[in-house]
Amino acid sequence: MSVSDLAQYVVTGLLVGGVYALMSIGLALIFGVMRVVNFAQGDFMMLGMYLTYFLAVVSGVDPLLGALLTIPPFFLVGVSVHRALLVRVTGGGDPQRLMDAQLILTLGLSLIITNGTTMLLTPMPRGIKTAYATQAFAVGPVLLNEARSYAFLMALVLAGVVYVFLTRTDLGKALRAAADDPEAAGYQGIDVRAMHGLAFGVGIALVAAAGGLLATYHPIEPTVAVNFIVLMFVAVVLGGLGSIPGAFAGGLLIGLVQSLTLLVLPFQLQNVGVFITFLLVLYLRPQGLFGQRLRAV
Amino acid sequence: MQPHAILLAVLAAAPMLLAPPAADAADDFKIALVAPLSGRWARQGQLKKMGAEMAIAEINAQGGIKALGGARIVLREADAGDSVEKAVSAAQRALSREKISAGIGAWLSSFTLGVTEVAERLEVPWFTLSYADSITERGFKYTFQTSPVSSVQAEQALDLVVDLAKRNQQPLRKAAIVGDNTAATVFFFKPLREKLLKAKGIEIVVDEIWTPPLADATAIVQKIRSTQPDIVFYGATNFPDSIQVLQKVKEFGLKVPIQGVGAWLVTPEYVKTVGRELLDNIMTVTAAHPLKGQEELVKRFTERTGEPFMTQDPLMTYAHVWIIKEAAEMAKSADPKAIRDAVAKLDLKSGPAASTLAPGRIKYDERGRRVGAAPIIVQWQNGEPFTVVPVEYATKKPIWHGAK
Repeated sequence: MSVSDLAQYVVTGLLVGGVYALMSIGLALIFGVMRVVNFAQGDFMMLGMYLTYFLAVVSGVDPLLGALLTIPPFFLVGVSVHRALLVRVTGGGDPQRLMDAQLILTLGLSLIITNGTTMLLTPMPRGIKTAYATQAFAVGPVLLNEARSYAFLMALVLAGVVYVFLTRTDLGKALRAAADDPEAAGYQGIDVRAMHGLAFGVGIALVAAAGGLLATYHPIEPTVAVNFIVLMFVAVVLGGLGSIPGAFAGGLLIGLVQSLTLLVLPFQLQNVGVFITFLLVLYLRPQGLFGQRLRAV
Repeated sequence: MQPHAILLAVLAAAPMLLAPPAADAADDFKIALVAPLSGRWARQGQLKKMGAEMAIAEINAQGGIKALGGARIVLREADAGDSVEKAVSAAQRALSREKISAGIGAWLSSFTLGVTEVAERLEVPWFTLSYADSITERGFKYTFQTSPVSSVQAEQALDLVVDLAKRNQQPLRKAAIVGDNTAATVFFFKPLREKLLKAKGIEIVVDEIWTPPLADATAIVQKIRSTQPDIVFYGATNFPDSIQVLQKVKEFGLKVPIQGVGAWLVTPEYVKTVGRELLDNIMTVTAAHPLKGQEELVKRFTERTGEPFMTQDPLMTYAHVWIIKEAAEMAKSADPKAIRDAVAKLDLKSGPAASTLAPGRIKYDERGRRVGAAPIIVQWQNGEPFTVVPVEYATKKPIWHGAK
């Protein structure tokens, strides 16, 4: 194992992790604000991949731009799904029953989206053929895949925008207030239900954009979500439930661990490294890397 | 109250949805097709279905099964999904719900191993294109394996590439084995790893196996890059995994011959996703591919389905339906046991079933393996896959591109 090999593994891990990170912050936002575990998150990502694909094939839109264009429609989709469905199982009532109802709702939504897409678009895998999917920037002996590098940079920018939105704008602060203490936020005149809708919309838009970026190099099929949803959940829990920077770091860490695991373990055990890290973090720091202990109480 | 009313209505309607459609006449001859129609192998199931439907349309148009008074063949498809458990329960449902005369499936060897257990127990003859040796090593009476088994494929594929490389003055010294752990791939790699490569004096420099889905292919291709094998034996049965590996091969600029195992490597989607430049010269061993003289059959298929070319999955399933038809004519019965006995005695040397599969003969030995089944080697040339081996059926000559 040479130094350049090691560098290649680290770089690859970080680039893969960048897109995991973007996928995960949407999930973290939804959980952080609404306390909803959204099992359909991966399916919205899949839909984002398809929209990017059709934009590329039908209108010739470059998938990197296409990924950004998925944001407005999926924001609306998220808000609508919240208004039509999720609002019935969030905010008030017996928490245990609400939790059960949310799990069933989002799991059902996931099944409907996956199978509906299979029916409508057939299970045939599709892919966007881009030059940058199979080209790389060479930094010395280390190769940085172009598609992944662009996806990584855009993931960073989008995550930055979300962070600034949450910390610097009034709306973002209201959102965080609704997350921290819905009751007190209500007394301050913040419409908690609207904040939930906003969080769900933004969360769905982000994961759709992540799907668009993923589509620049990953084949698209109705069941693509299953490959990623578990990793998203691990990233979110690893980073600290509901913490946005935590989810981002969690995503990066997963990519890195996945890649570096291969230095010591056979390929078949690629995800074992991820789950060992996950267990270690939960054992040593149960609130997650960026989580606050209080929040767990 | 309203949701309750809807629930009641759904419950009341459920038996109607579950019951077999009433439109079929009682004397229809039913064939079950258990194949992945959802999940990551769904495309292959879809291709199988196309082949079955084409054969059924042809048979029914010619007056159905004559020995059964012109009985029409109907297809009962069941979704094998993406796991052995789902495949087994699909077979169980399909075979116990109504009288099925014969079955076909379930594409992936791992699924077939499970599904044939069900067929054996319920005594329904089962036809499969799956490769794994173990499918016909269990002493089953109702399983008929039409493809050459994996270990035979491995041996022949190795002979071919060794010969091709030698003729091009680039003898093979180092090999890489890369693939997933589904049954057909496992049985293909096993003899290579344990004896075949050693016997030819070829050293294994990379041996990487994964459980699908593959998270990322960089590490695999990185290993190939740093060890520089003269040939890669490649078994990534599902499309997303395979695409990731091939994209990386292109990205890292590797010029190494790739010898695949299975028909998954010759589906039309590959051209659209990775482009023909990358595919060209990649070879794969399959159990069936259009042969010299089958242009008419391929044309009927492409016109019917809109697919750009025909591959193993529709071809083999097409042949299977015809084999079942011939067996039914011989048995003069739709009873699965009678069909099974007829298949065991069958020796077809002409007709649509025999002419579809090399070497033009349909006969199964006492284990249920097709006599004379020889692997076919297909190579991508100019964005289309052609049969290159055996020479007598080849539509193109094989091209070797060694590491230059």
